Formats: sequence, C-alpha cells, structure tokens
Amino acid sequence: MKEKLKKLNEFEWELDKNVRPRMNVKARVIGNKKIIDDLDDGTLEQLTNVACLPGVIEPVIGMSDMHFGYGLPMGAVIAFDPEKGIISSGCTGFDINCGINSIRTNLTYDEVKAKLKELVPALFSAVPCGVGSKGKLRLTPGQLDQVLTRGVNWAVENGYGVKDDIEHTEENGCMEGGDTSKVSDLAKKRGGPQLGTLGAGNHFLEIQKVSEIFDKEYAKKLGITDTNQVLIMLHCGSRGFGHQVASDYLKIHEQAIKKYNIWIPDSQLVGAPANSNEGQDYFAAMKCAVNYAFVNRLVMTQWIRETFEKVFNKDWESMDMKTIYAIAHNITKIEEHTINGEKKKVYVTRKGATRAFPDIPALIAGTMGTASYICKGTEIAMQKTFGSTVHGAGRAMSRHAAIKRFWGGKIKEELAQKGIVAQSTHPKVLAEEAPLAYKNVIDVVDSVHGAGVSPKVCRLTPLGCCKG
Amino acid sequence: MKKYKFIDNLTSDVMFEAYGKDLKEVFENAAEALFSVICQTKKVGQSIVKDIVIEAEDMRGLMINWLQELIARVDIEELFFSKFEVQEISETKLKAKVYGEKAKPELGETVVKAVTYYKFKFEKTEKGYVARISLDI
Repeated sequence: MKEKLKKLNEFEWELDKNVRPRMNVKARVIGNKKIIDDLDDGTLEQLTNVACLPGVIEPVIGMSDMHFGYGLPMGAVIAFDPEKGIISSGCTGFDINCGINSIRTNLTYDEVKAKLKELVPALFSAVPCGVGSKGKLRLTPGQLDQVLTRGVNWAVENGYGVKDDIEHTEENGCMEGGDTSKVSDLAKKRGGPQLGTLGAGNHFLEIQKVSEIFDKEYAKKLGITDTNQVLIMLHCGSRGFGHQVASDYLKIHEQAIKKYNIWIPDSQLVGAPANSNEGQDYFAAMKCAVNYAFVNRLVMTQWIRETFEKVFNKDWESMDMKTIYAIAHNITKIEEHTINGEKKKVYVTRKGATRAFPDIPALIAGTMGTASYICKGTEIAMQKTFGSTVHGAGRAMSRHAAIKRFWGGKIKEELAQKGIVAQSTHPKVLAEEAPLAYKNVIDVVDSVHGAGVSPKVCRLTPLGCCKG
Repeated sequence: MKKYKFIDNLTSDVMFEAYGKDLKEVFENAAEALFSVICQTKKVGQSIVKDIVIEAEDMRGLMINWLQELIARVDIEELFFSKFEVQEISETKLKAKVYGEKAKPELGETVVKAVTYYKFKFEKTEKGYVARISLDI
C-alpha cells in the first residue's frame, strides 16, 4: 500500500480512491519522509478501511503519529455526513476522552529541582496510580449522574477546580446531551469507585520544564514566559466507565450493522446510522464518558495543586497553577466544517488526534525521556484536517516487545542520569513506556508544524513522572 | 499442553492464545492469561471466592463476555483473581468459581481496558480448543 502513496508536498501524502476497491473517499497522511518511511502497510490499510465506511467525508486523515490500532489507526481523523454517515463505537474506541490537561506554575526549574525527590512521591500518593489503586472518592449513584451529565460544573461546585478551569477546557468540560439512561448499570458500577484515578499504561502525570519557546507572543497568552518555567501535564481518560460504555455499544453496533445492512471492511469498525436510535443512544452514552473524563482530570488537577501547596508551602493561586488547557484526543463530536465550500455540521471522530481549532492550544504528549509540546491550532487545520492534529509520539514497538527489550530498572537509571525522577507501581511499566518504544516526537511534531496544521508554541521536557 | 502463549505482533497492545483439552480448560486458561497481564497472579492469594454466571448467544460471545466480566470485577469489586474453576459450560452458558483477594497496587501489573475483536479466534483442534484474544491496555 505504501508504494501507492502520492507525495503532495514535503509533509502531505495522499492515497487515491482507487488504491483498493470500495473506498468512498481519498485518504490523506501528514508526515515527513522519516515518518512515511517508518509507516507500516497494515496501518495504511486500516486508514483505507475507514475510507470505505458509508457517508464518510473526504478525506480520511492519518496523522504523523499514526500507528496500528483497533479497526482504525491511532492518530486518525474521520468526518461523517449527519444524514448518510454512521456513528461508530468501533472508531471512537475504548478510551473515550482520553486526553491531556496542562497546568502552569510560576515556579522555576531550580526551585522545583531541589524538591523533586519529595514532590514526585508526594504526587504519586496524592493521585492514585496503577491497577489495584483505590480511588479516594466514593460517589453515590446520584453524584455519578451529576458528573455524567454536568461534567466539570459538578466538579467546581464541589471544590474540585475553579471557574477558570471550565473556561480552559474543550467543550467547557461538559458535552451537552449526556443521557445516563443510555449507560449500562455495569458501566456506572465501574465508574463509581474510579473517579480521580490515573489508571496505567501510557497514562501519566508529569512535571515538565519549558525547554524552548517557539512562539513567544502566543506562549505569553498561555502564561508561559520563560524557559525553565515549570508546567504539569496530566494524561488519562474515562477509566473503566468509558471502557464499559465502549464494550457495551460495540455489541449493540455489531447487531446494528446487520439490522441496517451496512457493509464494513473490518468487523471492528462497527457503528450505526448517525440518525438511528442505536447511533444516537451511543452518542448520548459517549457524552457521559466524555464528561466523566473531564471531571476525572480536573479532580486530579486539584489534588496536584494541593500537593504543590504542601511541598512548597504556598497556596496554589500564588504559584499561578492555572489550567493552560484541557483537551480530548479520543472523541466523536458534532462540529461545523466547510465541506465543498459550504458550512455544514458533521460528526468528527478523533482517534488519537487532538482538536486544533484556530488560536486554541493543542497539547501533545511525548515520552518520559524526550519531550512534549504545546502547539497552536490554525485555520489551515480547519481546511486540511477537520481542525485536528497529532496527540503524541505514537508507539513504534509493542508493549510486549518493549518489556522483552528493556529493563525497567535500567530505564529509571537512564532517566535519573538526565535528571528525571520517575516513579511507577513497578519497574515493568517503565520498560513498557521506554522512550525508544515510541516514534521520534520531533519528527511527529515537525510534520504537523511543517504542514501548517499546528505550529509549535513550546517544547516541554520531563523532570518528574508518575506512571501507573 | 501449554496453558497459554503471548503473541508479539500488536503495536499498542497484548495478544495471547489460550489452549485447553476441553472447553472448561480453555476458558480457565484464557482467564489465567488475562490476569497474568493485570497482576502478579503467583503472588495473589485465593481467600475470596466469587460465583460467576455468564450467558451469550454463542461460544465466541461466551468467551468475550467471560473475560469482560472478569475485567469489570477488577474495577467494581477491587479484586485480583488468581484461580479459575469453570464448573459447568454449554454453548451459551457458563458457571464458574473464581478465587482471589483484594487488589493491591504492589501486586498490580497493568490496566486492561477491554477485550477486543481483533483477530479473535475460537477453534476446536485435534488436541482440544484454542482461543486467540487481543486486549486493549
């Protein structure tokens, strides 16, 4: 399949509609030569599978962090026509509203470095990490319903976060139309004990320093003024609640494709017509999971602030610990985009892709040992990628292969040599998440920067990391 | 016969094959493989016993529902399991006793988000049964 990629320019490539049978639209890939050279055929095949779905709008997009996923690659964006298209639980995936919060401080690298060995363990105990960790909140069913329908508004009313956090969250931290009657009891039971937990795998809480500022003016708007300024990045999602919503609706959508006689090239891409009950029920349940994840990250944000207060003996407001932005990178939404010259409301699914609307920050997570980025969305993104960009470095190696190749203790040592304090529930997590198990984040971000989709604002390098 | 084997061809996640001379065994071994991903099963005790009943339309659904139920119980009951006894099994129904103890992070490995349909296989072979399962982690 790769040989069929047509180069449009240094950072953009295209697969024509005729590269395989039954594609409804072209596929576009963002990436520099290095990214394209390293792409595997299976991932591109997956992208062409999505291009076969009914009502899909041209083009389907693979980002520079694209890697093989379930049904469609991680790092993909698809838009569907609201009349002819489908809503697909398979495409949105298991970790609904997996996303990132970035929190700034006015602390410098030197101030934090001196306290790092105290700060990282304190954060590790304040924010429950890993499988088997206990959530500190025990929600009643009534409280959980509030979380699912009112999102971060519930959080702020209950002392988790402030009004300013709401204004700096995608969708203002609440997707309207979440309907708890469309969510299974099992999902609610899984969600109850887990609000305010990080989870495991690639989810993390990281203390970072600004290592380079590319766009001073925009960075200043975000409260980032100096290199060596310390920021915090939190990456996680909707936990067992979202996983269960996805699992439940995959089964419902498996039946729906038979009922509505929809042909799909891969059984993992199940969905239902956008305007059907099965489609809208999923959308309403997915919104509950989206809201859960926004609250989950804000609750932990507040605990991070409280931990900084204890360690630095100052209140969080005086350390200027405001949310720079909170954003989702696994989600389906209705958005207005210009299609064939006309403004139209469409369903956009971002699977391992971040919204990049003009002048709004896009947060991109790197690995423990390399760098993360804050980028800026653009009008070009609206034209080329349905207002979307990459979400992270993207895996280059399976977790199993990483465990075989790396040893967690050695990774921790190597990170320590770079001045990075990493703490995990056990060393294997560090091996799984070894920096070399990922694509080079510089190539990933340079590609979206070069394509004009999301120019770099600043680079953030890790100082301390908590992993599940 | 080997109980299960991990297959290393999934970039982001975990795939394994579970084997069994009969249906009971393949279901037990699949659960054991799943929990070897979630926790350090050798260190997890068996002081808590739970009865589980699973129903599905067919054998494929039964395997997926069985594993999904166990994943959900880790979250809901905050338990790790280390021993699985399938007591009765038909095409559409399974009764089992599972043994474990309260989940502790120091015995944890990783969060399994879900069982997926990716390259799912459930087959009868000359030696018994084989199930291929991919997990999203």
